[in-house]
Amino acid sequence: MSTIDLSALTAREVRRGIASGDFSAREVAESAYARIEALDGEVHAFLQLTPELAFAAADRVDRARAAGEELPPLAGVPAGIKDNMNLIGTRTTCASRILGNYESVYDCTAVSRLLEAGALPIGKCNMDEFAFGSSTENSAYGPTRNPWDLERVPGGSSGGSAACVAAGMASISLGSDTGGSIRQPGALTGTVGLKPTYGRVSRYGVVAFGSSLDQIGPFGKTVDDVALALEAISGADVMDATSSVEPVDPYSEALGRGAQGLRVGIVSDMLAMEGCGEEIRRVVNSSAETFAALGAEVGEVELPSAQHGLAAYYIIGPAEASSNLARFDGIRYGRRVPDADDVLDLYMRSRAEGFGPETIRRIMLGTYALSAGYYDAYYGQAQKARTRIIQDFRAAFERFDVLLTPSTPEVAFRFGEKSDPYTMYLNDYYTIPVNLAGNCAVSVPSGLCTTAGMPMGLQIIGDYFAESTLLRAAAAFEEATHFEPVPPLVRALTGTEGGE
Amino acid sequence: MAKDRLAEVLERYEAVIGLEIHTEITATNTKMFCGCPVAFGGEPNTRVCPVCLGLPGALPVPNQAAIEWTVLAGLATDCDIALWSQFHRKQYFYPDMPKDYQISQYDLPFCSGGLLEVEVDGDGVAQRVDLGGGVAAVGPEAVADDGGYRTTIGITRIHLEEDTGKMVHVGGSEGRIAGATHSLVDFNRAGTPLMELVSEPDIRTPEEARRFAQKLRSIWLALGVSDCSMEEGSMRVDGNVSIRRRGESELGTKSEVKNMNSFKSLHDALAYEIVRQADLLDAGDRVVQETRHWDAGAKRTSALRSKEEAHDYRYFPEPDMVPFSFDPEWIDSLAERLPELPDARRARYMTELSLRKHDAGLLSADFAQACFFEEAVAIAGAARAKPVANWMLGDLAALLNAEGIELPESRVSPAMLAELVGLVEDGMISGKQAKEVFGDMAASGDAPGAIVEARGMRQVSDTEAIESVVRGVLEANPVEVASYRAGKTGLIGFFVGAVMREMRGQGNPKVINEVLTRMLSG
Amino acid sequence: MAITESDVRHVALLARLALTDEQVTTLTAELGAVLGHIDELQRLDLAGVEPTAHPLSMTDRTRPDVVVPGLSRELALLNAPDTDGTAFLIPAFAGAGEES
Ligand SMILES: [Zn+2]
Repeated sequence: MSTIDLSALTAREVRRGIASGDFSAREVAESAYARIEALDGEVHAFLQLTPELAFAAADRVDRARAAGEELPPLAGVPAGIKDNMNLIGTRTTCASRILGNYESVYDCTAVSRLLEAGALPIGKCNMDEFAFGSSTENSAYGPTRNPWDLERVPGGSSGGSAACVAAGMASISLGSDTGGSIRQPGALTGTVGLKPTYGRVSRYGVVAFGSSLDQIGPFGKTVDDVALALEAISGADVMDATSSVEPVDPYSEALGRGAQGLRVGIVSDMLAMEGCGEEIRRVVNSSAETFAALGAEVGEVELPSAQHGLAAYYIIGPAEASSNLARFDGIRYGRRVPDADDVLDLYMRSRAEGFGPETIRRIMLGTYALSAGYYDAYYGQAQKARTRIIQDFRAAFERFDVLLTPSTPEVAFRFGEKSDPYTMYLNDYYTIPVNLAGNCAVSVPSGLCTTAGMPMGLQIIGDYFAESTLLRAAAAFEEATHFEPVPPLVRALTGTEGGE
Repeated sequence: MAKDRLAEVLERYEAVIGLEIHTEITATNTKMFCGCPVAFGGEPNTRVCPVCLGLPGALPVPNQAAIEWTVLAGLATDCDIALWSQFHRKQYFYPDMPKDYQISQYDLPFCSGGLLEVEVDGDGVAQRVDLGGGVAAVGPEAVADDGGYRTTIGITRIHLEEDTGKMVHVGGSEGRIAGATHSLVDFNRAGTPLMELVSEPDIRTPEEARRFAQKLRSIWLALGVSDCSMEEGSMRVDGNVSIRRRGESELGTKSEVKNMNSFKSLHDALAYEIVRQADLLDAGDRVVQETRHWDAGAKRTSALRSKEEAHDYRYFPEPDMVPFSFDPEWIDSLAERLPELPDARRARYMTELSLRKHDAGLLSADFAQACFFEEAVAIAGAARAKPVANWMLGDLAALLNAEGIELPESRVSPAMLAELVGLVEDGMISGKQAKEVFGDMAASGDAPGAIVEARGMRQVSDTEAIESVVRGVLEANPVEVASYRAGKTGLIGFFVGAVMREMRGQGNPKVINEVLTRMLSG
Repeated sequence: MAITESDVRHVALLARLALTDEQVTTLTAELGAVLGHIDELQRLDLAGVEPTAHPLSMTDRTRPDVVVPGLSRELALLNAPDTDGTAFLIPAFAGAGEES
């Protein structure tokens, strides 16, 4: 077994270690696969491992170092890729049976950029089918388990991406966030998860769920790692007409400037949400005190329309998804029933048999909301509610630089605990309004709850394209709390190994 | 179907026709939303990419040039150009449509509220039975001086969308769906920029529909936006037809007619459909709202298999693209790119080149023909525009028709035609000889001057040479000379013939006539 | 606006999903419950509010009309369930709806 403990090393430390010759990129990759070998049988963070790609990338890094070249910012950093992002040489299944054998024939822009920055593609991460869910229980290939407690969900939909970082199988990973699918699993696994401003990262190559909501974003153990990864994947892309031409800041350089003078607003009306756990509420208030102690100006703000976010989201998201998933029809790719009588029969049965229950629910809901006679009442009304939510955020950011809410109303729940779809949807109460408005937000670990010992997350929300400010606030909070969450599973493993 | 049957029906019923015309933009290098090249045919699935195959994760990015061509098309048809517009998704499942939705435009198209003036002359005029006696009853502004009339057809909108792929049905007869065992799908065409023009239901006769489509084609060709090939499907015309009893204002139930692959089909299919609907109403039946397929061979329309559901396209704003906010100055700058359009060209031919309206109209309507004409006139000189036009609309048109080819494929070039006209006008050859030379040059591609040389045809116009022949003829026929001088001037033809025979047909008849008249009276 | 089984069957056809009777019953209940929860939207007075289709106020994003290499036919057909080597092969076509 390799001597490198990735769960103890940040991405920055990995690159530094390779640059200074402490270890090679190949050794880093070996250690990642060793950890996967040890833990992923239980965790199931990965749907597919890609050692050929990872070792080829590692060897490129090692050759570059041997040649004395300047190493790219993520050189040798092992990365997990959510399985809804295309990468040549991998299957991209979206954790769906309908794409079980689907092989990528082109690369997702964000993945390409991450790999160009020197990252090693370790494998494709488990997720809720087509990103519909908050637990990875909707994966057609079995759920991912939370490294903090294997009886509990890691969150979702990017549950595999979160769990692989939490368990030290990768230093960083990419997830996608449509209504909280990065921040919620980040909170539930004690990792940092960032949803960038809509348009900050190209969506080209990530299988679309809600096109006006989706953003790819990074997971990491630290805010610094997330900033490094964001820097690598951000920026305009000719292949995505909704990617922004706003300049990409050197995000990691904004860190370490503290929170002095930052205007921090607690979203008081959202915090008062009925289903929010007491301890989670308390932690947000104490986080605000932490900011105040760091010299920030802390106040309260309300987002009165955000309470309608969930309702608007469960129209807009499914509406867009129902359209985006029409292409899985068994004609050009994907599962096709072998005995179709005609094309209509082929469509109807290939789709019904290929999609899981939650996917079918979302497609049905979205199709209904757009259908003749219901458009105005549902989709039209949701679009207007979305306008109101945007207005609320705009007003709030006139008074504050960042806003605080919990990332989730509760900590990781047990498998099967939320069998009613709507109860599951409520888990994204705090994260959804941010997707509707398009702002950036990050979930930062804020401590372990005293009852279950599970991680909690603080959601910090930033203004459009104000990722520098957002990450600065997150880093200041991270530094002040000194909370370095390591799951018991990993502690046990590294403990028995005894380290170096 | 007999022509008089349509006339009889139109005596009692008024037809209300609107057209939907899809035109592929063939002027762009690339497809509507991806960088694949735009071209016709080719090996199946060789001009495709993740975007136009609708692969998971691929995103559309609109082609700036296709948008500009659409705005130009709108400007050329008097449309208002929207300052705020966007794409929508039109959703339905079909195997040749990769994403199972078509990116199209809905309530915010690029162009709307346009107009097209259409002139009808010749046989088609009679279809407007309401215009009997030359009185403009509805719509047409005036009855033009040549027995035709002019009418203005509204253009509801022109929007931009993407074309579908193509399916080949295998196992049935002649590639038809009926009887096929399976189909093959080729996505080379998928994503080609497609303009859809929707007319107002202002059209009243099949002839007006044909003229509208022809006029539109001539404008698109002048713009250069498309090759407008109805055979290859780059221009596709569908018609919505209903009829109502004359005097009634309420619209009847309409049927939609598809698969009209030529202007003749368009006319004949609409005529058939009008009569079919009249027969139904006359028999006390109702017209069913449906889509009907024109079979040009059988000369009839038939109902397409009725769908298993009513259409519900679930349009919603395309979230993969952002809206368009056009700057009026940008629109003005595009307007400056507009070339001379057929109507303006016709007016110029009439005023500057003194062509007759009919000839000017024919030459200006076809862009390739207009280019040929102008090139020939540039060489021959404006004063000789008329004979150039006569040759083009006469012998050259007949030749092309006989050979079944288009003007650009002909061996006859503008320069050759200009040279031929010059030879005639300069008196070098006679009109009769010119026809022989034309036939020769069209077959061989040789220059007319060279043909005249080779065949020794050069006409003698030299007055002195002719005078000497005339002198000989007069001396040889004293009796006829005396009769002529006594008043039998009809004998001039006898003398001309005699001189011509003497000169083996190479004398210039005009000069011979002059010389004879002078010497006989002298 | 309670959703009925007949609505669910109609929507399933629009979405091309062959549902069993049991699925229709379950989905009618589940969708009804979700729609009930989000019924609050109907009660909001949003008259005069502009709808938002996109969170950011970007406009006019286009690409230049330049050819870029696409996929080889081999890659285009790589994931096809059935082909004849040149094109995507599908079974007999019995009117899955037609359009131009
Ligand atoms: Zn393409």
